[in-house]
Amino acid sequence: MKILKTLVLLLTLVSTAAYALLEVTIIKSEENAFPIVIAPFEVIDDAEQGAEIADIIRDNLNRSGQFNALSSKGVITNKIDFSYWKARKKDAIVFGKIEKVSSKVFNVYIYVYDIYTKKRLYGKKIAVHNSGIRRISHYLSDKIYNVLLGQKGSFDTRLTYVTMTNDENMGRVYQLEIADADGHNAQTVVKSSYPILSPAWSPDQKKIAYVSFKNGRSEVFIKYPFMRVKSIKLPRFDGIASAPSWHPNGQGLVLTISREGNKDLYFYQLESKKLIRLTKDSAIDTEANFSPDGKSIAFTSNRSGQVQIYIKDLTNGKIKRATFEGTYNAKPVFSPDGKALALVHRVGKDYRVALLDIKTRDLTVLTQNKLDESPYFSPNGGMIIFATNRDNKGVLSVISLHNNQIVELAQKGAEVREPNWSNYSK
Amino acid sequence: MTKKIILLTSVIFLSSCAGTSIQDLGDKFLDLINPSDPAVEVEDLSDSVLMLDDESGSFSGEDLAESGVDSSEQSRTQTATEVAVETLEDAGVSFVLYFSYDDTEIDEEATQVIIDHANFMRNNPGISLKLEGHADERGTREYNLALGENRALSVKEVLGLYGLENRVEVVSFGEEQPIAFTHDEDSWQKNRRVEFIYQ
Repeated sequence: MKILKTLVLLLTLVSTAAYALLEVTIIKSEENAFPIVIAPFEVIDDAEQGAEIADIIRDNLNRSGQFNALSSKGVITNKIDFSYWKARKKDAIVFGKIEKVSSKVFNVYIYVYDIYTKKRLYGKKIAVHNSGIRRISHYLSDKIYNVLLGQKGSFDTRLTYVTMTNDENMGRVYQLEIADADGHNAQTVVKSSYPILSPAWSPDQKKIAYVSFKNGRSEVFIKYPFMRVKSIKLPRFDGIASAPSWHPNGQGLVLTISREGNKDLYFYQLESKKLIRLTKDSAIDTEANFSPDGKSIAFTSNRSGQVQIYIKDLTNGKIKRATFEGTYNAKPVFSPDGKALALVHRVGKDYRVALLDIKTRDLTVLTQNKLDESPYFSPNGGMIIFATNRDNKGVLSVISLHNNQIVELAQKGAEVREPNWSNYSK
Repeated sequence: MTKKIILLTSVIFLSSCAGTSIQDLGDKFLDLINPSDPAVEVEDLSDSVLMLDDESGSFSGEDLAESGVDSSEQSRTQTATEVAVETLEDAGVSFVLYFSYDDTEIDEEATQVIIDHANFMRNNPGISLKLEGHADERGTREYNLALGENRALSVKEVLGLYGLENRVEVVSFGEEQPIAFTHDEDSWQKNRRVEFIYQ
């Protein structure tokens, strides 16, 4: 009987491990998109992975909203027909070849040419292990993006998020998962019958801070997903502990701790294990986020009587209000250049992701949804990922700030929420 | 014991999904790339085996079977607390208070309910109370966690007027434990609540 039960549980694990995030493009916009063509890779010696590389690169570039990347059918071996592509109004062409070196190792050659000048913009040869195909494709996508647009891409990065399933046998099960930025390679890091929220990648991608209710109340933990190291529990007083956010140097976090009913922001230093109090207001102060230079924090507070966003300058201790439009503004996150905040803004009865220019105070609402939550920037600042509902199911949505193109990431049979985007893999 | 086996099994399963032994991947990959090759820009692509923390209580079902506890066979005697609480329930006292949107205020009707509970606690000196605060799903999760706590604290404040604060624990679940799911005011109203849980 016990063996049967173990088998059943194993099978359940099998099926959950197989679920990846499924990508669906909802609103595609070709405005302002760089038209390029990606030719299938020439395959030498039975290296079918070539097709995969070209597909991943194409999908990545399209997802950014800045490219209109089409696949072409013909394999390019030596000569490029520039006039052919010029006539079809393509600006650049990407092609390459893949050759098998051994059973699990391949050489990948990739080239990018400008169709108008006929100049080679990029050329590289890389040795790859079989299991590194996806990673190489993301790495190359970032290179191509950079060579064509002069900016960093966000493809060789990872997401973390929370899923929730609810069925008759298991009840509610929450999973803290990580995945590649395109939704592939989803893996479970923490699995629990109790709610999990606010996962946050450390700047070096070696740790994830998150909130768990496994001990009957909200507590903040730091987990090392890839090391056999015990999780760390952060200190708390007599109430909630939540909303962890990393300092850009990775040496500490700001979090919300409730003491005698008062919810304030505290900084926790990892090495010394010291707690430093950052706000002293009797109002709710929560959802803090460090600026990229580590010198300020933006946070949500109801100290004015409404839910609004404030920024505390940590160098002089001054706190200034940042949002002045509307009666509910919350969950601020800094853009990588430190000039803007993504946040949740209430319009009438709807909660929508918006962008605030910190200096000018201009607020731009980015969606027309009803229940947006948890926005976070891609590391190059070109996209914002957030949680929303689609047909009453929780999904993640990625919006490109260049042309408002939206891509949704969903998981079969589960609610997906609380997304966080890693830094660049080093 | 069973939990450990399952944890191990799941770890093995996840690693086998990668299609290769993760342990030796790192060394092989680094050997192949010649350090002088300008193409060497990508770091070791291997990730170690994912250390899965499995805390899901779903396995407690198995644990129960193991320990031989079968509630349908044994008759469990009720504790004194449970008997007393049942009496309070039978008297028609509500164990849930509801709140207006984004609000933590206690109205007259709610105050009366709290007073009933205060009297109950005074009459049962051994009993302690856990107040669970909740919020509806609108707005951000962390702010709702704080809001849920403030709702429970408002109730505790009233109980404090009767000197009972030392016997009252406050826990907030924010929007994480809704009891109604239709994404409209009908459900939201039911989710904005504080629950009285005696222990």
